[in-house]
Amino acid sequence: MSLIDDDMTFAGRDKTAVVGIGQTDFTRNSGRGVLSLATEAALKALADAGLSVEDVDGIVRCGDDVVTPYTLAASLGAKNLTYWADTGPGGVAPCMMMGLAMGAVLSGQAKTVIAFRSLNGRSETRLGAGGQRGVGAEIVGGRGSYDEYFLPYGLMTAGQTFALMTRRHMLEYGTTAEQLGAVAMACRENANRTPHAIMHGKPMSMDDYLASRMISTPLRLFDFCLESDGACAVVITSTERAKDLRKPPVTIRAVAGGAPLDARAGMMFPVVSRHDMTELGGRAAGERLWKRAGVGPSDMSVAQIYDCFTISVILQLEAYGFCGKGEGGAFVESGAIRATGSIPINTGGGHMSEAYVHGMNHIVQAVRQLRGEADMQIPGAELSLVTGGPLPIGSSVVFRKAA
Amino acid sequence: MSYSIQPNTEDRETGPFFAAAAEGRLVFRVCNDCGHATQPPTEHCPWCGGWNTEWRQAQGRGRLHTWTTVTHQIHPDYPTPFTLVVVELDETPDVRLMGRLDGAPVLTAGQPMEVWFEKLNDDVALPQWRPLGRPV
Ligand SMILES: [Zn+2]
Repeated sequence: MSLIDDDMTFAGRDKTAVVGIGQTDFTRNSGRGVLSLATEAALKALADAGLSVEDVDGIVRCGDDVVTPYTLAASLGAKNLTYWADTGPGGVAPCMMMGLAMGAVLSGQAKTVIAFRSLNGRSETRLGAGGQRGVGAEIVGGRGSYDEYFLPYGLMTAGQTFALMTRRHMLEYGTTAEQLGAVAMACRENANRTPHAIMHGKPMSMDDYLASRMISTPLRLFDFCLESDGACAVVITSTERAKDLRKPPVTIRAVAGGAPLDARAGMMFPVVSRHDMTELGGRAAGERLWKRAGVGPSDMSVAQIYDCFTISVILQLEAYGFCGKGEGGAFVESGAIRATGSIPINTGGGHMSEAYVHGMNHIVQAVRQLRGEADMQIPGAELSLVTGGPLPIGSSVVFRKAA
Repeated sequence: MSYSIQPNTEDRETGPFFAAAAEGRLVFRVCNDCGHATQPPTEHCPWCGGWNTEWRQAQGRGRLHTWTTVTHQIHPDYPTPFTLVVVELDETPDVRLMGRLDGAPVLTAGQPMEVWFEKLNDDVALPQWRPLGRPV
């Protein structure tokens, strides 16, 4: 199924490119501050591009990052910063960072933009523990968060929220534990062919998956992504300028965000009130994305699907049109998402098994694949989808290997 | 049950929900023009674009939509296992609310649920849900 639609013009199509990628080691305890990690990743991305800190005039970030654009510029010694932006919180950020960078470059506000994410997600701020919740008395919610409807009940984490969604998918479509396991196993297989992945050297069988302890029914430990320390950064500039730089450019073919049909106020928890709890903003994002990109899901060589949980992958494969609504479980069980399948996903191991850099390692991995530099390279990869966190809204990018 | 995590009851958009709960009443935000409800509550109605919304009292019955039994403890005041339930109000499919049951009860999608009010202190109560006719 190809949805090529040449009538739809997207002014940004292939006009900007990722020209540098950088990452730190991915660990369970970096022993360093997040600014130090962000700085290392950014310097590596600049070196990869053959650019210097003097070239940096724009920085964009995820709103959850502790590091601000101006602090990163200060640490880098980037004295020419003239553009910065913040996407707001969550895993939805990295793909929209590509949109911010594209807008900055095409509007002439910046020529060389760094997008980054840096977190000590294991040694400092564990999202799986509900963030940095104290143990004393606490009054929660208000100020537009709507957390007062959820946290006092004990609904505190993304894992519990996605568990509630998973049960609906099981009730409505018959999705099984083994189907969830197929997602975890595909990611683990890829990590075992990616030396820097945290779970490299740790093969996992379906029995291993099923034997992992329940965290929040019906989700087990291995339905959850890793918690890890590390940073990733990429450098974006115009495609025209990219041709003169060190590495083969990977163009940003299209970017799109999208809201769910039944959007609710608040962040993640209010998904429980959506009429259809398993319907994502990714569907609207995908419909726009494919039109803007002039290609469809079947044209993708690889896909980096935001995998905070196994169910997230299944829901997004449905939302972005790789399979029909409710068919995600059978689709992943068929082997389609494995390295040898029709749409290999998370080819570095993803959040499940490479590292949790809040969606930014997915961007880096897409660029590696399209340069032909990945540890587990998919032969002839030309187009990669990257998706952002599934709640509360959707975000997505198509990257293309430059002609 | 003693929770150290208590809701902010003074938010301008949601405060009336907790004020009603403290009086043993369950309310939700509904639009008088189109009949839809909003949850979380908003003064503006996104369904029809109007502003004619108000708090309306619910009967306190609903249906179980989904649930999860939490077995990995992350907060000392919320000992596991406990079960989070999502209940859809009988009045409208637009509103689903949270509840919490002790342990890992056997539950069925769509089963009838009823509200009760858990006093957190003299001024604050949480609407909670239990299977209809089953004691707390
Ligand atoms: Zn209305």
